[in-house]
Amino acid sequence: MMISAGALGTIVVIATGVATLAPILLIALFVHDWKRGRLW
Amino acid sequence: MNVPADSAILPPGIAWALLAAFSVLWVALGWYLGRNNKTAEDHMLAGRNVGLALATATAMATWVTANTTMTAPQLALQLGVWGMFGYSLGALGLILFAPLARRIRELMPHGFTSGDFIRLRFGKFTWRVFLVVSLIYAFGWLVSLAMAGGVLINALAGIDYRVGMTVILTVCVLYTLLGGLRAVIGTDFVQTIIIILGVTFIAWLTIDKVGFEAIHFNLMEERPELLNLLFPAAIMFLFNNLLFGVGEIFHSNVWWSRAFAFGRNVGFRAYLLAGLLWLPIPIVAGFVALATPALGINVPIADMVGPLVAAEVLGLTGAIVVFIVVFAALASSLDSLLAATSDLVTRDIYRGHLRPRASEQEQFHATKIMVVLLGLLTWVAASYRGEIPVVGSLAAVLYFTGAFVASAIWPVVAGLYWRRANPMGAALGMIAGTGLGLVSYFAIGFYVAALVGAAVSLAVLLVFTWLAPREFDWRRLAEAEPRNGAMANGGAP
Repeated sequence: MMISAGALGTIVVIATGVATLAPILLIALFVHDWKRGRLW
Repeated sequence: MNVPADSAILPPGIAWALLAAFSVLWVALGWYLGRNNKTAEDHMLAGRNVGLALATATAMATWVTANTTMTAPQLALQLGVWGMFGYSLGALGLILFAPLARRIRELMPHGFTSGDFIRLRFGKFTWRVFLVVSLIYAFGWLVSLAMAGGVLINALAGIDYRVGMTVILTVCVLYTLLGGLRAVIGTDFVQTIIIILGVTFIAWLTIDKVGFEAIHFNLMEERPELLNLLFPAAIMFLFNNLLFGVGEIFHSNVWWSRAFAFGRNVGFRAYLLAGLLWLPIPIVAGFVALATPALGINVPIADMVGPLVAAEVLGLTGAIVVFIVVFAALASSLDSLLAATSDLVTRDIYRGHLRPRASEQEQFHATKIMVVLLGLLTWVAASYRGEIPVVGSLAAVLYFTGAFVASAIWPVVAGLYWRRANPMGAALGMIAGTGLGLVSYFAIGFYVAALVGAAVSLAVLLVFTWLAPREFDWRRLAEAEPRNGAMANGGAP
């Protein structure tokens, strides 16, 4: 049973999209912790 | 095999400039963050109050290793789509560790290492078995990371394998030595951002330049098995990798030391979020290898496929991006492993076996000496890549440790949640699981070692506990108190 080009593309695009958002989330969390003095 | 300088993708001058710039950055950051460390607790656990942002980033960065950025493409090339999907299941290790991290922090507010837990929970014999398992794994991972560093620099810039490996290892030893866990966590945050930006940049451009239709068409022509969802070895690899990842995280002091270091109520959320954000990374990093037939790339060694594709698609820019990403990924894992393993050796070997009355200051100095010794040992082993039977490709080294780590999964879980778990069952489970897991590694293949190790270990633990259950008082775990100078003895008969 072979995976289709469409299915492969959908999975990879979703994964890449989620990964692209990760740095934004981490930086937002960093700023949030920093403002509240909770980095360490 | 060394790639000659004239066939390298990145000019050596640029590679040396990048190495120098990032080396200075990591060492300076490590020194700055660790400049106020005064005690072993500062150095080993960063003050025990790390917040959510840094906690999430360090869990992610440590789990995004060079093995992720280089082995994920290698596995995609060898096992197809299940290779990269299977690798992404490694995220379940982080996600499943989230509740364990909360329980560890609650049960052991003064704990230092995973060894502390096993000693107090199961007694000295099981503790010693666990230390052997844990240290073999840690060393295997360290060597595979150092090898990855040498392979990357050689593949991209033609710099001799041993020279590149030596530079990366030296930089990581230096800043871990200067700043301890605080330096590791601080640099991890920056490295996480760099890694994810770089990996996604390469993925988007590969999608744009090659396209899924071309990738799929060429694979169907040349390597159709890579698209097969019923590829038997790949399906076994999927489950094996799941157990391997869970085993690595559940037992390793890399993750336990963070559970002790994260602030109260932070561990659960940090590990959960890190797992969810890590999940797509191996797919993003791995799928580019599927483009090799479409790009007509000849891959001389499987673990070089990631850098080769990036350089083919993006030229010099791709080579630079990959170089920076893998350097960051290597550093983020090497530093964590150096720090956590030196803690384990200091607490459980030096203080636990050699100098039970070692003071805080003596432990502080011993931890630093251990970082240097571990670095030297790793250098010696990684220098002989391909010249010792076991030390072969990155994946071979990594999965060799699968039998060890998977056999520790159930003893750790039962130790944390099952009051009646039998200590001898935990010890013999690890011994039998590791033994039979290694037999399966050589007799069947690397993709079954963790499966066999986990199954055998569970069976032994269940049989022993069924035959001879032991009651345990959870409050005894709180005895891992470093400040009273007294080393608690084994917690179980």
